[in-house]
Amino acid sequence: MKRIVLIAVLLAALPLHAQFGGFDLGKVIDIGKKAVDQGSPMGKEFSQEDEIGLGDALTASFLGASPLSQDASLQRYVNRVGKWIAMHSERADLPWTFTVIDTETINAFAMPGGSIIVSSGLIKRLGSESELAGVLAHEIAHVVKRHQLAAIQSGMKADFWKGVGTSVVADRVKIGGGAVGSAVGQIAKPYILDAAGNLIKDGFFLRPLDRGMESEADQLAIVLAVRSGYDAYGLVSALQMLALYKGDADAASVFSTHPSATDRIADLEPFVPTVAQYAKQPQLLEARYKQNVR
Amino acid sequence: MPAMTPRALAFVLALLLAPFAWAEEQAFTNRATDLRERGSNDARVIATLPEKTEVRVLARGGGWTQVDAAGKSGWVNVFHLRFPTTVDSKSSGGGNPFSSVTSFLGGGRQTEKKATIATTGIRGLSPEDLKNAAPDAAALAKAHSYRADKPTAERFAREGKLSAVSVDNPQGERR
Repeated sequence: MKRIVLIAVLLAALPLHAQFGGFDLGKVIDIGKKAVDQGSPMGKEFSQEDEIGLGDALTASFLGASPLSQDASLQRYVNRVGKWIAMHSERADLPWTFTVIDTETINAFAMPGGSIIVSSGLIKRLGSESELAGVLAHEIAHVVKRHQLAAIQSGMKADFWKGVGTSVVADRVKIGGGAVGSAVGQIAKPYILDAAGNLIKDGFFLRPLDRGMESEADQLAIVLAVRSGYDAYGLVSALQMLALYKGDADAASVFSTHPSATDRIADLEPFVPTVAQYAKQPQLLEARYKQNVR
Repeated sequence: MPAMTPRALAFVLALLLAPFAWAEEQAFTNRATDLRERGSNDARVIATLPEKTEVRVLARGGGWTQVDAAGKSGWVNVFHLRFPTTVDSKSSGGGNPFSSVTSFLGGGRQTEKKATIATTGIRGLSPEDLKNAAPDAAALAKAHSYRADKPTAERFAREGKLSAVSVDNPQGERR
């Protein structure tokens, strides 16, 4: 029954000319069948397992475009700050991973499922651990609120899952075979790899979230920072750095993917003091930041 | 021409770099605000700065920003500053050589969707690379190897005197 519904959905999603002109219906049915066999949602809801798999697949591709920083102690430091904050979130149990990429682009990215990427270009411009905490807390907040998933789901076309089993990524796994192909195959289920591949080709990493989501993430970031014992103003301070920044801004930078820092600071003004009042011994940790970021 | 001494060279370099340094530090008060001796509401008021006072940012931290206002150094509330692209062009000093740079960085009044900005010579991420990225499973595995577990994060927090505080999320919990 599930398969019949699925095929009906797939057919409904196809343009008429595709249904009746030289179209390989057998292939579509086969693909659909494979997706169901693999447990594909074929709908708009992601299980937590799929969410994590999607985040891993997107992160793996990001790392294919931008190298991982080779500074292992920096990677561990950023993971400690991030994990400590994430432990005070509503999704503490996700496999939180914080990854520094080696690029001058100034930005941080949150993937579904708890994978956060932050650029070395941003890290070297921050001045304290509380600023880093503010930035990481903002990205953690996007994951906690499932903002990326919501954006993916709202932009999901009826044919989102149609390419399952046929996309470039799956082909690469199949054709590549050997160690590399099977390693990629380990990242996530094939239909998730495909979905990630489609999102990436569609410019997922470059697309801004809506303003309401950014504002929600900024506010939750302040809450998370205070819960974790950091200064409530770390994010505001990091935004001030961005507002002061003068230089090149590329399409993948925070200047292209986020509302202006000045607007974000202004939006936070009435909010921050309401949370800052709960802080007991808020820490800036400038010295520890400088020890760890060289 | 005699060779330049290191000190003279440093001086020339400082002069050359000065405008860049200045552009990165320039701000204006967005309302009348107190310039205080320290970053605290209890600290002594050094001066009251009128709205649109030009200042130079010296340091950031803890809800306060250290500035230099016409030779007087002190701290102002972090929310009481605006940055060049968000002040009226008259008060931002008409001949600002960085106006073309600052405008595309997105000012406070920019409401349009930010345009895609061409990368001009920095070693950043290119949109093409990000769209054509192939998954690197080995790099992902390495990234996972840097994860911190709970006891490590707790120890790290203790070392930094970070103590957890209970704060409700004013937005309400999702779950």
